[in-house]
Amino acid sequence: MPSSLRARSFVTLALLPALLIFLTFGIVPIIWSAYYGFFDWSGLGALKFVGLDNYEMMLQDPIFWRALKNNLILVASAIIGQVPIALLLALLLLKNSMFNRIIRSAVFMPMVLSTVVVGLIWGYIYQPQFGLLNTMLDMLGLDSWVRAWLSDPKVNMYAVSIPINWANIGPYLVIFIAALQNISSEVNDAAKIDGAVGFRKLFYVTLPIIWDTIIVTIILCISGSLKAFDHVIVMTGGGPAQSTELLATYMYNNSFTVYRYGYGSAVSTMIILISALLIGLNYFITKRRS
Amino acid sequence: MLPMTNASAAGSRSATWRKPFRLLLKLALFLYAIVTLYPLFWLVISAFKSNQDFFNHPFGLPLEWQIENVTRAWELGDMGRAMFNSTLVTISSVVLTIVLGTLAAYAISRFQFKLSGAVKGLFLLGMLIPIHSTLVPLFIFMNKINMLDTYWSLILPYTAFELSIAIFLCIAYMASIPKEVEEAALIDGNGWWGVFGRIILPLCLPVIATVTIIAFLRFWNDFSFALVFINSQALKTLPLSLSLFSDGYGTDYALTMGAMLIAVIPTIVIYLIFQEQIMKGMVAGSVKG
Amino acid sequence: MKKRFTWVVTLIALISLLAAACSSGSDTGSNEGGSTEKVKLTIWHNFAGDDLRAKAVRGLIDEYKKNNPNVELDAQAIPVDGYRQRLSTVAAGNEMPDVFFVYAGSQSQEFYDAGLLQPITPLAEEYPDWKANFMDGAFDRFEFEEGQIYSAPVGLSATSFLYYNKDLFERYNVTVPTTWTELMTAVKTFNDNGITPIALGNKAPWVAQSTILGSLADRVTGTEWFLKAVKGEASFTDQVFIDALAKFKELVDNKAFQEGANSIDNTQAEQYFIQGNAAMMISGAWTLTNLAASATDEQMAPIEVTTMPAIEGGAGAPGTISGGAGGGFALSKNTEGAVKEAALDLIYAISGPDGQKAIAESNSMVMYKMDLENANVSPLYLKAFNVAKEAGITPVYDAYLSAEAGEAINNGLQEIMMGGKLEDVAKKLQDAQARSTQQ
Repeated sequence: MPSSLRARSFVTLALLPALLIFLTFGIVPIIWSAYYGFFDWSGLGALKFVGLDNYEMMLQDPIFWRALKNNLILVASAIIGQVPIALLLALLLLKNSMFNRIIRSAVFMPMVLSTVVVGLIWGYIYQPQFGLLNTMLDMLGLDSWVRAWLSDPKVNMYAVSIPINWANIGPYLVIFIAALQNISSEVNDAAKIDGAVGFRKLFYVTLPIIWDTIIVTIILCISGSLKAFDHVIVMTGGGPAQSTELLATYMYNNSFTVYRYGYGSAVSTMIILISALLIGLNYFITKRRS
Repeated sequence: MLPMTNASAAGSRSATWRKPFRLLLKLALFLYAIVTLYPLFWLVISAFKSNQDFFNHPFGLPLEWQIENVTRAWELGDMGRAMFNSTLVTISSVVLTIVLGTLAAYAISRFQFKLSGAVKGLFLLGMLIPIHSTLVPLFIFMNKINMLDTYWSLILPYTAFELSIAIFLCIAYMASIPKEVEEAALIDGNGWWGVFGRIILPLCLPVIATVTIIAFLRFWNDFSFALVFINSQALKTLPLSLSLFSDGYGTDYALTMGAMLIAVIPTIVIYLIFQEQIMKGMVAGSVKG
Repeated sequence: MKKRFTWVVTLIALISLLAAACSSGSDTGSNEGGSTEKVKLTIWHNFAGDDLRAKAVRGLIDEYKKNNPNVELDAQAIPVDGYRQRLSTVAAGNEMPDVFFVYAGSQSQEFYDAGLLQPITPLAEEYPDWKANFMDGAFDRFEFEEGQIYSAPVGLSATSFLYYNKDLFERYNVTVPTTWTELMTAVKTFNDNGITPIALGNKAPWVAQSTILGSLADRVTGTEWFLKAVKGEASFTDQVFIDALAKFKELVDNKAFQEGANSIDNTQAEQYFIQGNAAMMISGAWTLTNLAASATDEQMAPIEVTTMPAIEGGAGAPGTISGGAGGGFALSKNTEGAVKEAALDLIYAISGPDGQKAIAESNSMVMYKMDLENANVSPLYLKAFNVAKEAGITPVYDAYLSAEAGEAINNGLQEIMMGGKLEDVAKKLQDAQARSTQQ
């Protein structure tokens, strides 16, 4: 058998099982859900086809735009915060000393904990009367900064985004460490011979090699932030008065709380479209840069 | 060899401030670690408090260590069985994700074929799906094919939704494995399967460990699928036990924290084991690469 | 080429094996033939926790199981946090269990509208005394057609007691408010002394609506107006409702609630109150249960309970509390024949006189008339029970509004607490309610 055919059969067999499961349990349901988006349906009983009405309603709903804005805050904070901090930590903690091992494990811990615990702890930090943050501000004489961090609509979305970023650094750290370790010793030696050290090595050798991984992490940031749900549900429930509403909580509420399942499905399709758009944009920008 | 050591080599001209700087850096890292470790510590102490104690002294040590929070949560939540189910479902899903994910990633990253772009795009789409919107379609679908209320009703959707991340991480990782290694192996008479099994998989250990950690966490903590697709008490997984002690008007924190403490231990163990695996992979990788 | 073909065949075989494994696992013993004559019955409920009421209901179900060996009962206790989602999902797939717990209000209404329920009227015909023994209004949200009931409540959700700390009132020489003016005086005095007047945990936004607005608005508008507005015969943009909202705003503007009430939850607010940081708390009967589980006896000693103060010049009666049927067990449309008989028996076993008594004795209010033996319940609960028995019951807003309108007023109250305009809130509520009555 010629090698090209062998290669082809290998590719087919390697891809098929993954594709099969992925299509059946991932893609089909999401297309199905997108289909519900064209109906006026409470989630119970009869469906009524309404075409694009749900989308029209969505674009006219100020809450949708607020949720989108809040999601974009999360995306920005994830890309500005999570990725660089995780990369920095990965670079600092790469060497396998005892100290580094302990720190590495510690950084990951918030991710291991249930969001309920993270939410409770940050609830105590932000607590308006005796919370840690306000007490500290008081002690530092910054009384004017004291506020109800989670209910003041001017600041609460930012207040919420900090714990989300803090809790999610762990996985990115692991991803970066794995990627950095894949840089072979020859490359490092070669870099040394060429005199590439310190920051120059970072920018001209290390970053280009793990560039693909960085792009994947940015994609993860975008998709993760647009799907964000758990932490906000635990910390604010999307409130007060929907000021910390996210697209996913908005979708969930419509689908399962107020019996507008069709509308909720349309929102969910919109989440995918927006994510795809942002990722396309990211692809475009990073392609140019490299 | 690593960025840090290189930086220090370069810094020989400024050796005088290098040491205090590194010390400061270590101190900063140490403080950061404390901030991230504190919640775990808080969970542990809270798990042994009475409800009064929990509210009256949220940050103090327990006035009286109540071991029975944990034992009662274990009993009431039927957590022994739930632990077994969660372990079975999670490990099956992780193994399936890794096997299928690495294979697919290898095929996509190493072979030029007509639809490779389309396949990649399709898998990318998988990362964008908000899982709550798939609940109703998946329920109806699995009900039709009689799959509800089996372990498969969790394993297959879990795998499907984690495959995307697994594949993308693996593709990115494989991109930096030099192709010469495989070509040599092919000439040595290995088929593609041999190359994949003998060369690629071992080289990919760090990224496999990474995917394992991330996937394990997601499967272990999933509430929505476990809630909707499983009926029999005998098949219930852990997250359902964790929310038992909250009735919508109030929460029994003593029991909730006790249950959470039980549930978090396996994830910590898995993380510690596989983190070491990432590190070992480095040694293996650098020898072969 | 041949080799490739065999691979594909192997793969297909593998996949079908997988599918077979899946399907064989699920239908354990369906269609078992008629020889055993066992009736298979499923019940879903959310009494999953460790609290007394949940244990009482589970006990009733276990007893039914014991008394009916011919019924193979599959009872599912689903955590409250996930109950709504679980039920909605299976409802979308039209795979309802035979008997299930529904909340009285928009949930029962939506399920009825979608044709998922059938009446349990046969029970009422079989046990007329039982039906007659329920309090007024018990079937308001379950009687979708004249003369047909679709469920019987297993709980009275009394949502707006005024709890107060006697010691604090004595220390600052404040009279327990019976009128709005007295309430505002109390608010001022406590604020002057650095005590929070009213503890409120409105993070889950239904709290202020259910505990405060229901009673407050009823005192201003009267019950009749509200029921008209629900049907679309009056509008929430009417001046009388704006006035009701203005009363709520008056509380907010006078700092009756602690700072950041919208970001702390009900449990935290209860703790804040019981620790003596706040003088009052307006809350439902559930607060009794929660405090019983988490407060010390010394903390409980000074706590008293009464109704919300009267509002001078308002159209509603004073001394009432808002409340209504908490929820009950309903029967799926698809349940027929022997299973239906068994299902009705099960519903009666839980909601019948014995069941109501067992639930009441778990320190939880019911809408069923009975005398409580003092020994079996906590003293504060008994006090509240007696307050509720004497007070008239007025509707809770979200039990009558559509789900969407309920959300609108919940969020609207948070908006008012953040400085929003009353007219905007009223309009959003009206729009949402109008949308649902049109259909």
